[in-house]
Amino acid sequence: MTMLHAGLPTVWIVIAVLLMAALLIGSLFSSTSAANRDSFSLAEAPLIGGFFRYLSSRTTILLCLKILFVAMFVLIIVSGLMGTPIAERNFSTVVTWNLWWTGIVISVLFVGNAWCAVCPWDTIANWLARRRLWTRNRFETRLNLRVPSMLRNLWPALVLLIILVWLELGVGVTTSPYDTALLALLMVVSATATLVVFRDKAFCRYFCPVGRTIGVYSQVSPVALRPVDTDTCNSCKTLDCYNGNEEVEPCPVKLVMGQLQENTYCIACGNCARSCPSSNISWQLRSPSIEAIQDARPHFDEAAFILGLLAFTSFHGLTMLPDWTQLVSSLAREIGDSGQLLVTFTILLVCYLFSVYMVYSVFVLLFKLVAPRFGFSQIYSGFAFSALPLALAYHVAHNLNHLFKEAGSLKEVLTNPMGTDTMPLSMTEKHQRTMDMMLSVDLIPAIQVSLLVVGFWLSLQVIKYRGEKIFKASRFQQIPLVLFSVLISLFNLFLLSQPMTMRM
Amino acid sequence: MDNPPCLITLRRIVLLSVTLSCLSYQSVFAHHVLGRPAYSLNEDSNTPPSMSVETQVGDFFVTYMVFPAFPKATQPGRINLYIQGIDEGRYFNDNVTFLVIDDAFFSNRQEIIGTQNIDDGVYRQGFVFKENGEYLIRAHFEDNEVPYDIDFPLQIGEHSPVKPLVVTVLVLLFTIVGSNLLIGKRAQLAKFRAYRKSET
Repeated sequence: MTMLHAGLPTVWIVIAVLLMAALLIGSLFSSTSAANRDSFSLAEAPLIGGFFRYLSSRTTILLCLKILFVAMFVLIIVSGLMGTPIAERNFSTVVTWNLWWTGIVISVLFVGNAWCAVCPWDTIANWLARRRLWTRNRFETRLNLRVPSMLRNLWPALVLLIILVWLELGVGVTTSPYDTALLALLMVVSATATLVVFRDKAFCRYFCPVGRTIGVYSQVSPVALRPVDTDTCNSCKTLDCYNGNEEVEPCPVKLVMGQLQENTYCIACGNCARSCPSSNISWQLRSPSIEAIQDARPHFDEAAFILGLLAFTSFHGLTMLPDWTQLVSSLAREIGDSGQLLVTFTILLVCYLFSVYMVYSVFVLLFKLVAPRFGFSQIYSGFAFSALPLALAYHVAHNLNHLFKEAGSLKEVLTNPMGTDTMPLSMTEKHQRTMDMMLSVDLIPAIQVSLLVVGFWLSLQVIKYRGEKIFKASRFQQIPLVLFSVLISLFNLFLLSQPMTMRM
Repeated sequence: MDNPPCLITLRRIVLLSVTLSCLSYQSVFAHHVLGRPAYSLNEDSNTPPSMSVETQVGDFFVTYMVFPAFPKATQPGRINLYIQGIDEGRYFNDNVTFLVIDDAFFSNRQEIIGTQNIDDGVYRQGFVFKENGEYLIRAHFEDNEVPYDIDFPLQIGEHSPVKPLVVTVLVLLFTIVGSNLLIGKRAQLAKFRAYRKSET
């Protein structure tokens, strides 16, 4: 028997719909203005400023965090390979899927793309390939080949993200500590092999599905690593942030801080902050979504990645609906699939992904009908950023259920990571876990609805700004894309209103 | 000084009571399922822990359960198979043959482990494996002259924790050492070219 988390109460659904309607009407009659460009350097903040100044200039804190995360990562591998196969009793599965995989998306809201700075598989790959803990390596230890030009985009990361989702929801890696450990080892091998063979950090920049998901999502984050004063960057002749210096490695993803418009490829390693002779680079608070609204330059591969994220977030929700099993069974019966029903699952995954792309394309075509001056791919790429806040808002709202309703076993797996002498969860324990939440049962729907409403509002801002400033489209001409945003928001609201199957 | 016999007897009584109370304390916390303590759970018990898989094939909804959940080599285990019609919910009522297939690479060993009749809506098949490994259990039956073969995975014993680690270390070593050899060769070639250039 599976346990279910209750969906959003009706009163919250009504509130969400009313708020969205009010924002939609308000947006139709308000003027468009550029997003607030003001930012605030966290290095100058009271109390925490010293910490951020130290973080930007020294490697000590970062190194300690890296060692901590590597230690946890090694424990995930060890407990996955040698611990109990009971997923809900093993450190490997509980920490990876209930805590990290759900928490990492939520962390984007607070720390942007900072995860990449402490990413354990990249840290291990660095230690192995460069044979240095943190200092600059003077010797040639890598082949430094160029990544083939056809792979220098987000398509490889999108394909790997599809595979990751397939493994997670189709194969069921989340319920197997052993498979989770194998996946972790695969990440280490891939990151190391790519680092040894290709120049810069090709794995992080082009292949890592986790890193690029965070990179793309962090365009909406209110926190980012940026120059404090852009004039200082404009007058800079040495470009130490790009080239590095005697002590610090160059930017591993080849970004020039003074010209950085979007977070997509930044891995927040902090090399730029440490190498800048003017100490001009720091973590900053900024207007949320400023990149998605106006700064980010449209690229077709990035647009496809954003829409892929939008599809996968709601697909996660869809697979956790109680009726999902019935749908899979019915299709399996039609096509004669048996066993783990992987063929059926793959068909549904591909169809759903394709349908999201098609639905967006239809609305883009409608926009093209009323504003024919621009090409399909221009409109497709330009407005894809409107899907970003919708995807992140739903993703975080969905993950809140997993994080606060299912991560109750964390203390247990910390004390017994291998799950030695443990039994599968009894029904009483499962029931107790759904009752024993880390947040109030009334607070979670409030946060979920707030997220969806804010996501919808940001999406409208993207459509308004890009529609008027880039595509010179009137409010009437923007209606197709506004309808897309409304449609996705309502669908996401519907998913949240449904009971959700507990992961483990 | 020797203790009097009554004191020794008293000590024995106290020791026995403490031991018994400890044992009874343990039994209070023993895991009970359907009124029976957990220690009675074995391959003949119809209670958890078990591993189950549900699937749908043709006109049937099939549930496959393995007792115990994580069977080991040389220890007896049992498969429970429920085959129920999707439309009218009737139980399939004919013989089901169970085969075991070695799921290892480059192995096509297979063996019939038994043919079972339905018993109270369930097909029960016992097994004892000699070796740990990954196997497939195939349930074969025919309905209206249509043959059905349903494969279910069965893991006997635990996965090898060493194999993936060894493979990982080997791949990493191969990549790092291989690239270093290539780097060395490239440096030599560059030196040689520089030397040739300086000579000409």
